[in-house]
Amino acid sequence: MIRERSQAVVHSKWSLPLFSLALGVVALVASWLGGQPGAGWISLAIMAGFGLFLLLAGRSETIRGLRGDGRDERFAQIDLRATAVAGLVLITTLIVVWLVQIAQGHSGSPYDWLCAIGGLAYLLAVAFFRWRG
Amino acid sequence: MGVSRQTINSIENDRYTPSLPLAIALARYFSVPVEEMFDDQGA
Repeated sequence: MIRERSQAVVHSKWSLPLFSLALGVVALVASWLGGQPGAGWISLAIMAGFGLFLLLAGRSETIRGLRGDGRDERFAQIDLRATAVAGLVLITTLIVVWLVQIAQGHSGSPYDWLCAIGGLAYLLAVAFFRWRG
Repeated sequence: MGVSRQTINSIENDRYTPSLPLAIALARYFSVPVEEMFDDQGA
């Protein structure tokens, strides 16, 4: 049976702002536990501000797509491409930093682990999606 | 149809190729065959 990919993916406009706020609260708790409550409050303020911005800036297609309530099949494809680009930038940065660390005589940790996790996650994802068809 | 106005605009301007279910839905909406609505001349 053909999946209805053309159907809009319905998300609440509150989901991402609330997630952003929740992440800020978690960052505050983690910073508090680490003895740096000031940095935690700054993190919370940034995340809450970003969430509020997403909630209030409602008419833009980009904002509604990011938020999820204006997402259709085209935006899902845009999201997939953007995720791929972000992943490519991230893994390229990690590899460059890892090489610089090694060249400076350091162990390269934790960048070597992050590169390995990224590569392994990619291989597993390829295998999984190939298996799933 | 379940897609945004911007998506329809992108399809009209050949900047986005719709999925098969959406192409069929659009063709049914306008009561024309899919191959009449979308051709592969630009591909």
